[in-house]
Amino acid sequence: MTIKKYDEDVSLLENKRVNGKYFKLAFQSANLSRNVQPGQFLQIRINDGNDPYLRRPFSYYRITGKRIEILYEVLGRGTEILSQKKKGDVLKVMGPLGNAFAENLGKKKRILIAGGVGVPPLVFLAEKYPTEYLLIGTKSKAELMPKPELKKVRAKILCSTEDGSYGTKGRVTLLLEKILMDQHPGEFFIQTCGPKKMMEAVIAIAAKYGIEGEVSWDESMACGVGACLGCMVKTRSGLKRACADGPVFKFEDLEL
Amino acid sequence: MKVDLTTRVKNLVLKNPITVASGTFGTTDEYAGYVDSKKLGAIITKTITVKPRAGNPMPRICETSAGMLNAIGLQNKGLEDFIEHKIPYFKKLGVPLIVSIAGESAEEFGELAKTFDGMKDVVKALEINLSCPNVETGGVNFMKKQERILDVAKAVRDQTDLLAFAKISPELGDVLEIAGKVIGQGIDGISLINTLRGMAVDPCTRSSRIAKDFGGLSGPAIKPVALRYVYQVKKEFRVPVIASGGISNAHDALEFLIVGADLLAIGTANFVEPQATLRILKGIEEFCRKERIWHLEDLRGSYRPAGEKGEGYNR
Repeated sequence: MTIKKYDEDVSLLENKRVNGKYFKLAFQSANLSRNVQPGQFLQIRINDGNDPYLRRPFSYYRITGKRIEILYEVLGRGTEILSQKKKGDVLKVMGPLGNAFAENLGKKKRILIAGGVGVPPLVFLAEKYPTEYLLIGTKSKAELMPKPELKKVRAKILCSTEDGSYGTKGRVTLLLEKILMDQHPGEFFIQTCGPKKMMEAVIAIAAKYGIEGEVSWDESMACGVGACLGCMVKTRSGLKRACADGPVFKFEDLEL
Repeated sequence: MKVDLTTRVKNLVLKNPITVASGTFGTTDEYAGYVDSKKLGAIITKTITVKPRAGNPMPRICETSAGMLNAIGLQNKGLEDFIEHKIPYFKKLGVPLIVSIAGESAEEFGELAKTFDGMKDVVKALEINLSCPNVETGGVNFMKKQERILDVAKAVRDQTDLLAFAKISPELGDVLEIAGKVIGQGIDGISLINTLRGMAVDPCTRSSRIAKDFGGLSGPAIKPVALRYVYQVKKEFRVPVIASGGISNAHDALEFLIVGADLLAIGTANFVEPQATLRILKGIEEFCRKERIWHLEDLRGSYRPAGEKGEGYNR
């Protein structure tokens, strides 16, 4: 059966800078907010016309009733233009797209490792489902999530900064290794999203300790629905589309 | 009054001129949740090769001004899988199917043509992909030798009487010369244009933004070039033409119709707007109604060449 997908004009309720790194955008939509799970994403048309031409994919960050929030970084021309949109401006948004992180982990404890654009979907996951740890890595204190954004997360939140301006100095994987060395690694299930190098390091650590996990893997996307074959991921069962078969993959399925 | 959008291509009758460019509409039902594909005049498939192809490494795509570069590399599961898993879907859908084919040799093109000749209940035409910029064999480099193009045209024609379009690009050489030669081999029509090879460099890494040095440029950036070739080929040979190259809205579509395009293949625009095809179809209809054109045939090919504009040009 064909699952009904939505492509709607939405009016922005807010779009503002929340710290040195992130902007927060919010709008309302019944269709785009129904049955959404953390890890899924939306494709946003930044402008009418030809510039920028392709849509941009964004993870869901938070859903409250019909209200949808997206937390994004300005990383290029598309997000630069997006950041200048005002309350009341209309954007075309497609979704919900992609698969989601596992919600039920059985007896395992959830440990989340997030960096960069991977922070929002994992905060969404930590708000929605029982989570033991949320580990967040950034370059410096200025880029950390503002405290109010994390107040609904009941997990233990540990931060690392590369310059040591906040939390543990160094990469977020240091925090992960410390937890795994101090506790019983077999009790945990890892879910991660962030820069590729970070995710690869997390997967390597998981392999070392024999822990299972999931990664939200992204590649440059055009269509977002599995048509263009632009965002392929190598898996044990062949090439998969990050947008339609993923973006969430089990560690053991990936062939990096 | 209803506008008659019926499009006749030799013995093939389509309910409208709107189709999708090869490789931009998924392999089967990727857009089914967004678009009622039954409303399309025809569907052109992603290019099918005899053997499965894994395609190129990542990144395969990047955005450029008013378009994108791609180096997908004809990823597909091959002929056998297509027949087993895709043909039944299209048979059920009931929209005339134009299968895009590519081989690594004239023999392979012939084999593909022969296979689809036996499926005329579903397959209504072939598009011979002579101009993929992203593969080593069978692509645009290979076909630069014109005798290879002619061998392929002949191999296809020998194996089937299905309506056959040759998809060519200015990358192959002189478009008019090549079009003339393949028509001479009995090919029914021309599909214009494929992507144009382009390049994008990341200043920080000093390397290509995709995993190959060059990729195929598509989208609105190439539209004026496509329009020109469609006009020239149509004017010179009066054969059926499938037009593609950055068609994004009804205005673009009307331009191609006016210079004579028979089918309009919407490509990259599908990635941006899943509903692009049907929105364009609606726009064409609205324009015709406004202009009191009740048969699309009265608009098709109505271009007034420069210097012959005459009365009404400045409306």
